Amino acid sequence: MLELFARFLVIGTLAFGGGQAVLPLVERLAVADTGWLTPAQFAAGVGLSYATPGPVLILAAFIGYHVAAVPGALVATLAVFSVPIACAGFAAQVVDKLRDAEWPQAFGQYAAAAAIGLLGVTLIALARPVVEAHPMLLLGAAAVFAAALRGLHPIMLLVAATLIGAVSSMLDLA
Amino acid sequence: MLPHDDESSPRRDAGEHPGPTSLAWALLRIGTVAFGGLGATLALLHRDLVERRGWLRAGDVAEALAYTKPLPGSTVVQVVTFLGWRLGGWPGAIIATTAFLIPAFAIMTISAAAVLALPDAPVVRNALTGLQVGVVGVLAAAMWRLARSEAASRPLIAVLIAAFATGLFVNAALVVGVAGVIGIVIDRVHRNA
Repeated sequence: MLELFARFLVIGTLAFGGGQAVLPLVERLAVADTGWLTPAQFAAGVGLSYATPGPVLILAAFIGYHVAAVPGALVATLAVFSVPIACAGFAAQVVDKLRDAEWPQAFGQYAAAAAIGLLGVTLIALARPVVEAHPMLLLGAAAVFAAALRGLHPIMLLVAATLIGAVSSMLDLA
Repeated sequence: MLPHDDESSPRRDAGEHPGPTSLAWALLRIGTVAFGGLGATLALLHRDLVERRGWLRAGDVAEALAYTKPLPGSTVVQVVTFLGWRLGGWPGAIIATTAFLIPAFAIMTISAAAVLALPDAPVVRNALTGLQVGVVGVLAAAMWRLARSEAASRPLIAVLIAAFATGLFVNAALVVGVAGVIGIVIDRVHRNA
């Protein structure tokens, strides 16, 4: 249990660039280093962490559960998010303190523009497996993009996309 | 002068701050439907906390993203923590983050036991591919909206595009940091001119 906590604390602290960036690290920890999960179990966990609401690193709950049931899930989740949460809280506090000065506003405005631009990098990383599955699927993504800009609720669009995916495979089987 | 100084009003009135119960309830609801990672969640937070409830401005969400992206950890969670702090200090941050994580934790723990029974069927695989397609579209839309509201001037658009281009090769934290410093320099130059 202590090992579970310590290892996920380290994962959370090293997760520069967001949760997805450390998935390879989590895999090494849970599969290769400790044998807590088989590769197939880990793959199922990753799929689920994408398919469930919330952060990808909630994968920690999945792994923790396999190590020590519900207490394990709780410990791993607390460990993986505690350092990032503390960092974000302090960041908000510092930004607020500096609010009346002028330079943080200039910094914030340009940093925000850069962060939005960086979303494009994430976008490409997410689009790559889609294109690999089938390039035409990008048309579907474009349709979702257009629908989202028209004000359709993101959840409706995601559910629809998931259902269309499921139905398409049934058609293949028929 | 900054490109849009009118947006940079400092602290808001205390009256706009939600109570702990309504904050927890709002984030619990968002946490329940926050499928699709960072992009979709940003869209949800914007839709609910900015457009629907009016607790925050679009700039708050973009700022939360800018300041938490360089920090280690799950950016989705950190954006929620940051916004929670802005709405109610440390208690707000803890309440918002906990409420946001409860649904994900519950679903993940329950399915941890059940998932091993899930067959590796084409239906499951294609459904996940469909979800990925949706996520790409929704994230693109979230990015578009944020870009429209937060990068309203030419230098900011240039920084946005440059960040995207360099972000393909350079560490994200470095890109955001350098962009911020460039902002300070540009601001100084404009002031002295």
